Amino acid sequence: MPGGITRVVLDGRMDIAGAAAVDFKMNLIAGSAKKLLVDLQKVTFLGSMGLSAIVFPARAVHSRGGKVVLFAPNEMVESVLKTSGIGTLIPVCHDLDAAIAELG
Amino acid sequence: MAGPSPSSLPSSPEPRLTLKSQLEDLTLVWPWIEAIAARYSVPADTQFAIQLCLEEALSNIIRHGYRGQPNQSISIACTVECAPAGTGNQDAGELVFTVEDQAPPFDPLAPFTAAPAPATASIQELPPGGQGIRLMRKFSSRLAWQQLANGNRLTLTFAIPPLAIP
Repeated sequence: MPGGITRVVLDGRMDIAGAAAVDFKMNLIAGSAKKLLVDLQKVTFLGSMGLSAIVFPARAVHSRGGKVVLFAPNEMVESVLKTSGIGTLIPVCHDLDAAIAELG
Repeated sequence: MAGPSPSSLPSSPEPRLTLKSQLEDLTLVWPWIEAIAARYSVPADTQFAIQLCLEEALSNIIRHGYRGQPNQSISIACTVECAPAGTGNQDAGELVFTVEDQAPPFDPLAPFTAAPAPATASIQELPPGGQGIRLMRKFSSRLAWQQLANGNRLTLTFAIPPLAIP
């Protein structure tokens, strides 16, 4: 993506099994990314283990002065993000241009 | 009103699922919920909420209640009930999931566990844990806990549309 943005596309159910499947790769990517766009368009379910699979990599990026944006979650997934408080700490964008601008 | 009144609905079977206290057993829960959802025409959003709440409840029991000890028993029963009087939705029903374990007593509704998400300025300050309880409170219609002689009973209720008569 332009501007040094790393786009990670998550797909399917981010339950305990789904989170375990992406945990390692997410942390690996977060270890080097400075601008991380987490694409949630195809995520059909998000539980607290799935939240952890997003939060810990996001912390790693933030701790190096980087930025993270969550892109296009469906309504229920966004509701989980908001209830957990994470949706207010990491920007959630439904427009790709806005997401790219947010990562600046 | 089209169809019989809720009070004349036939009694529902009581599907029950028994799990061992290991996270791998949670893979049995999703197809079970899907089957229940199909039978009672549960909307996709409600099915999402049921899955979310049960995953949180069960993973809490496995990780915190039984402290990771495998091969302890957890049972989940599902019953279908009429919406309680006074809800203004007398044609609707409720799916009631009763989760029982033999772990030490733990009340998820206690004030210290049921607090809203703390206001923090950054993702670094967000404390780990506590999300599961918040999510269960938000996504279920009602949540109740009862201490048993030898364990816990957590009851999670979800509103569903008017019941379809088989």
